[in-house]
Amino acid sequence: MNDAEARLSRCFMAAVPGLKRSEIPAASVQTVERWDSVASVTLVALIEEEFGIQIELEALDRLDSYRSILDYLNALPARDK
Amino acid sequence: MKLVEALEAVERNLPAESPLLNVQLACGFTPLHLLTFLNAHLRSQFPEHRIEIAAGLFGDLAGNLERAEGVDADAMAAVIEWQDLDPRLGVRALGGWAPRHLDDISRNVRDQALRLGHLLEKISRSRTVAVALPTLPLPPVAFMPGWQAGSFESGIRAAMAELGVRLAGLPGIRLASAQRLDRISPPSARLDVRSDLSAGFPYSLGHADALAGLLARMIRNPSPKKGLITDLDDTLWMGVLGEIGVENIAWDLDHHAQRHGLYQQMLASLAESGVLIAVASKNDPALVEEAFQHTGLILPRERIFPVETHWGAKSESVTRILRAWNVGADSVVFVDDSPLDLAEVKAAHPGIECVVFPRDDDKAVYQLLEHLRDLFGKQALSEEDTIRLDSIRSAHAAADSVPAAGFSPERFLEQAEGKLTLNFDKNSGESRALELINKTNQFNLNGKRHTEASWKRYLSDPQVFFVLASYEDRFGPLGKIAVIAGRHDGSRLTLDHWVMSCRAFSRRIEHGCLLRLFEKFGAEEATFDFSPTLRNGPLQTFFAGLMGATPEGSFLLRRDQAVEKSPPVYLEIRESAHE
Repeated sequence: MNDAEARLSRCFMAAVPGLKRSEIPAASVQTVERWDSVASVTLVALIEEEFGIQIELEALDRLDSYRSILDYLNALPARDK
Repeated sequence: MKLVEALEAVERNLPAESPLLNVQLACGFTPLHLLTFLNAHLRSQFPEHRIEIAAGLFGDLAGNLERAEGVDADAMAAVIEWQDLDPRLGVRALGGWAPRHLDDISRNVRDQALRLGHLLEKISRSRTVAVALPTLPLPPVAFMPGWQAGSFESGIRAAMAELGVRLAGLPGIRLASAQRLDRISPPSARLDVRSDLSAGFPYSLGHADALAGLLARMIRNPSPKKGLITDLDDTLWMGVLGEIGVENIAWDLDHHAQRHGLYQQMLASLAESGVLIAVASKNDPALVEEAFQHTGLILPRERIFPVETHWGAKSESVTRILRAWNVGADSVVFVDDSPLDLAEVKAAHPGIECVVFPRDDDKAVYQLLEHLRDLFGKQALSEEDTIRLDSIRSAHAAADSVPAAGFSPERFLEQAEGKLTLNFDKNSGESRALELINKTNQFNLNGKRHTEASWKRYLSDPQVFFVLASYEDRFGPLGKIAVIAGRHDGSRLTLDHWVMSCRAFSRRIEHGCLLRLFEKFGAEEATFDFSPTLRNGPLQTFFAGLMGATPEGSFLLRRDQAVEKSPPVYLEIRESAHE
């Protein structure tokens, strides 16, 4: 697990109570019941705080899984994370 | 605190048997991260409590307050923002910012401020309420340029100031300091428009953290320190007295020594607020007295007791001062410009808070003054605050007045003309009683503490009786010095709380209280909810004297035992319902 993955995992565990570390790589809105609207808002705030970024509104709709968020973060220019 | 840290803190659970602190969060926006930060900060302030926070409905602060009033809770955090006073002062409503709307908005703000003030006043009668008045910037509603405050902005800010004055004067309300919030949360970084529009949460994370921390601290209301011990040279005044003489020490602008004058001014203010002030200085005692008598210090000499001046270790001075005050080191702050002396005192008295007086650094001294105000700040001044120093000084004067040869403690007590007044009115709203319950260690039945809400709940039980004892003798008044609370059932008393200030020791006040309780309630026996604590040795000694052995837990004492084993009590005991 690289640094970004570790930091993102911490955000997931904080935003979605009860989510096990082993469940995180496959986590998505569809598979995790507790990933509700409050968890989504909290997750975005956590990621923005942790990575020092502001996620564009247009991107929010497609950031619905751990994998998609990790891809989004990896695609950011280095200075943005 | 970062949000991730707050969420992780909130996830850590205490055992189910831990006491519960039930807090209401009243705001008009989605509480979201403010609730998380408040929960985390409350856990930090109340590490032994489980925290439960209930929040209300979105967009209805007044309704949330009305509903909260009927719900039992220990405390409330109420956060008022401009949009709660008129939705047009937020970004989620489009009611119009035209000049013709301004008068109507102003009227709404005033009406709503009155309504919210009334609701908060009612709620504060049953629980502590920590209140924050609008913290967000006003939106660009008025027609004036943003760098200029017109009558609209000035008018609604005045309405908030009026609300603040009204709320700050209520005993159950603690108002967040706008000045402190400005320092820890820069106003320009507070509003998160995107979050407000997308989630109904208007705060940046940093602001939510700062505001929640302030609210939690106000709900906690930490006990103020009791005493301050200060050095003299290059601390209370500029210069080394023994080197430059009385005439050359300084604390004014002309000598570039104003920071020392400000420090004296702060100590004088603290002394008048009931804080004990003492001196510990390596100095010539005669020279120090000359300085106090002839230099017109801002801190009057009579406000300082005791003055320890010699060439020995400062820790020895501190030991004697703590003994004279009869307070623990953890209630005391020691201020000195010498890091070496601070370290020496800290090593001997680990509980004491040692603060360095910064040399030649006006800004750092100003910060020290603010720090001292935080350490000693209190909600209100009481009668006890005004007489504390005099009663300690009187006790020493009394001890000094006794000739060593042929001294009879018995005769001394007999001639002290002690008067004990017992107030049984548990509805008197007397805050001193809770203060004694929560601050007293040495004569304390079991060390049990109360929050304001749990104390009110306890007293509201019709079975519960309550006694607040005041004492005075020919050496002066000690003020309200003891609290007893419990239940009576026929011929039996059950005592849940019994605390007495250490200032009142050695006068047989405890014997007087106990015997009068048996008599008043016609009780033949009393059960004491006793628990030994690390510091209630004096109370244990008292009971050992009555029972022949130190109790190990709850115990029963018969009236005839108490009467037989009590020494003569020379107190005039009277009752008052309106002391």
